[in-house]
Amino acid sequence: MMKCVPSFLLVSLAIGLTACNQASEKDSKVNINKDPYPSTYQALAAKPILIKNATILTGTGEQLDNADIWLVDGKIKQIGQNIEVSNIQIIDAKGKWITPGIIDVHSHLGAYPSPSVESHQDGNEMTNPNTSRVWVEHSVWPQDPGFDTARAGGVTSLQILPGSANLFGGRGVTLKNVPSTTMQGMKFPQAPYGLKMACGENPKNVYGGQHIAPSTRMGNMAGYREAWAEATEYKREWDKYERDYAAGLNPTPPQRDLTHDTLRGVLDGEILIHNHCYKAEEMAMMIDLSKEFGYHAGTFHHGVEAYKIADLLAENGSCAALWPDWWGFKMEAYDMVPENVAIVDAVKNSCAIVHSDSADTIQRLNQEAAKVMYSANQSGFDIDEAHAIRWITSNAAKSLGIDDVTGDLSVNKQADVVMWNMNPFSVYAQAEQVFVDGAKVFDRHDEQYQAVSDFLLGQQ
Amino acid sequence: MKLFSKTLLAIALCSMTNAYAQSIAITNATLHTASDEGVLTQASLVMDDGKIIAINPAKIDADVVIDAKGAIVTPGLIGSLNQLGLVEVGAVASSRDGRDKDADISFNGETAFNPKSSVVAYSRKGGITRDVIMTSGGSLFLGQASLVELTGEFNSVITPTSAVVMEFGAQKKGSRALKLQQLVDELTEHQQQSSEKPPKKKQAPLSNKAKLLNQLLAGTLPLIIKTDRAQDILHLIKLKQQFNLDISIAGGAEAWRVAPQLAEADIAVILSPLQNLPGNFDSLHASMENASRLDKTGVQIAFTVVGDATHNLYQLRFDAGNAIANGLNPASALKAVTYNVADIFNIDAGQLAVDKAADVVIWSGDPFELSTHVERIFIGGKEYSTQSRHDKLRQRYTTDSQMPRAYTK
Repeated sequence: MMKCVPSFLLVSLAIGLTACNQASEKDSKVNINKDPYPSTYQALAAKPILIKNATILTGTGEQLDNADIWLVDGKIKQIGQNIEVSNIQIIDAKGKWITPGIIDVHSHLGAYPSPSVESHQDGNEMTNPNTSRVWVEHSVWPQDPGFDTARAGGVTSLQILPGSANLFGGRGVTLKNVPSTTMQGMKFPQAPYGLKMACGENPKNVYGGQHIAPSTRMGNMAGYREAWAEATEYKREWDKYERDYAAGLNPTPPQRDLTHDTLRGVLDGEILIHNHCYKAEEMAMMIDLSKEFGYHAGTFHHGVEAYKIADLLAENGSCAALWPDWWGFKMEAYDMVPENVAIVDAVKNSCAIVHSDSADTIQRLNQEAAKVMYSANQSGFDIDEAHAIRWITSNAAKSLGIDDVTGDLSVNKQADVVMWNMNPFSVYAQAEQVFVDGAKVFDRHDEQYQAVSDFLLGQQ
Repeated sequence: MKLFSKTLLAIALCSMTNAYAQSIAITNATLHTASDEGVLTQASLVMDDGKIIAINPAKIDADVVIDAKGAIVTPGLIGSLNQLGLVEVGAVASSRDGRDKDADISFNGETAFNPKSSVVAYSRKGGITRDVIMTSGGSLFLGQASLVELTGEFNSVITPTSAVVMEFGAQKKGSRALKLQQLVDELTEHQQQSSEKPPKKKQAPLSNKAKLLNQLLAGTLPLIIKTDRAQDILHLIKLKQQFNLDISIAGGAEAWRVAPQLAEADIAVILSPLQNLPGNFDSLHASMENASRLDKTGVQIAFTVVGDATHNLYQLRFDAGNAIANGLNPASALKAVTYNVADIFNIDAGQLAVDKAADVVIWSGDPFELSTHVERIFIGGKEYSTQSRHDKLRQRYTTDSQMPRAYTK
């Protein structure tokens, strides 16, 4: 009997403790807020519009001649021939061309704005080869006049990326190209975050020059692998915490770490990789790296040698965001061919994109795409406008993970639309009217729709 | 026998390419002359001995006759103020000869120019036949500009000293006021020294610098000053008048704001038609309409490429096309990439006119259009290819082969 008493006591104590935990002592769950700087973007007010008699490049590979497009409540309501609607504003677009809003997957607007003064060099946190903890949205100056000139070039959405000094440069952010006093007011609702990675010369030169790793390309690879190995552990700790908590235990939450939050987001498939990487052999290794650690290699940016591994890129489902003709500014940009985009594009399941990385060429992405199309056609390709427009619209949207809502002119997509004065693949073409979510944000012939940044306002 | 005929053919080809004196006629062409003659349709042109010897002659008499089938023919385009042949790869120090922080007015790129640079052949794709390269020193003057032709052949520097180049405007350190004062002092001092010293029999030979300053002050050597701000341009107009210099403005983002003064002072502006962003406080009023406004006011304009002006030189014609889209008339746009550049740098080319250098391009269409390419290009009366290693790379990676790509050549 004596033996029994203590046991009984112990059991009741244990029950008491458990009961107590369940009632009040289990810690509240630590949840990481994944959207702490949420979008406050709201479409500008807009009445329904019917644009008639245009040549329309749909962004899905089709060209519709003498066609109409009807925009209602920020969405594409209908597209096709002979759309008749009464009591609605009608734009006669005879002789004009309509395309989806242009999307640039690689911009530094706001982070490296104009004027390019010392105080504005906010695009590269060059203090550590892994700065996955920084978010470029925290550097974006919405008053960069470059947003306005890009809008005049038909750009309706764009991804701002940190620079390429680091192996991991930090998070990118996708914006709607509307004038706003805050970054949040431009932030593309629901767009996934990007993570900028960089191969090759830039990181190894920036840190090698300071006698810090990496100083070689193999050092670059070691740097990525170490980071992903750590991130894998971090993810495991949090996954375990969440699993244990869900199982009714009261686990101690792992220590929060901003760097690994971002990398974990990639491993969880929530954050998309955007990888500055020029050379064929490096892109191939970055794909293997992604398989080693179980994430997707995402989009390769700049990829001057992408044409050498077009098959591999398509097989991996990787987009390649490329220039038509930039070259020669460094060794890894030496093997340029003007048909790069077209060669990448020619493979089944490819995702070729023309990007800018420039406050200048972002204003003329239509011409950048045209350069590729015509160079390629001169070399025996047979590419038309309906197809090539995808390089700066729907393929770009796919790269950014926003292709379910924008990037082409399908019914119910966001009414991000550009009306051009002529075939946009001409050097003489200009965007005449630009719509974001059905609202006119630019009109070349109406000053009322020409935004001027605070910086330029009132300058004498 | 077969071998023999091949050899004969090879000899024939060699002698063809070396036959400098071979005359070539282009007939049935639409000649955009970049001269007062404007556009001549159903026209012909004859080149011989490096020059254009006839336009629309009564009788065509030439070794080779090319039927242009109505195609547009223009003078070869002339680039300027880049480092073609001085830089192969921007970030590779050993491939760069265009910069030296200690260099001054005597810095001349002539002996560093590499005619075999891959950028030379690539630039011919853009119809560029001649180019004014420049050095970039770190003193009062950046250095000199030199005229080269894009033949890719040895010894293609035509004029070692075509101009002297300097910058005036926003500075990372110090003040522009001091810089302008230094220039004025330099010129004044040199003027005084020249006038004070009576010629002596045993006078020491003039230094290179003194010779250049003499030529600048005599107005025989162009002084190109890179500057953007309208107020700064007004200072340079005064400077021209004070010293009787042959000044042209380069950059000139805000030049349109002082267009009447520039026209009055007969100062040309070498600008990029695409520069429309305020890169700093000197260019707050940069505009895509800079070119058209200057042209309408009677200012002579020439175009240069923005950004990496060397590797992107080939796109000069597209920049001109953009200027047209922003209000410039096409005839002025053509002059801005041909005759006006020649005029600013005293080059005997840039027009389809008798006695001008036989730099001639036959185009597949409108030279400014993205869809157009160079059909044939002649420099100094000789035909050149537009093929470059870029084409070799494309061919290698678009040709099926059982062997590794490295065997496809």
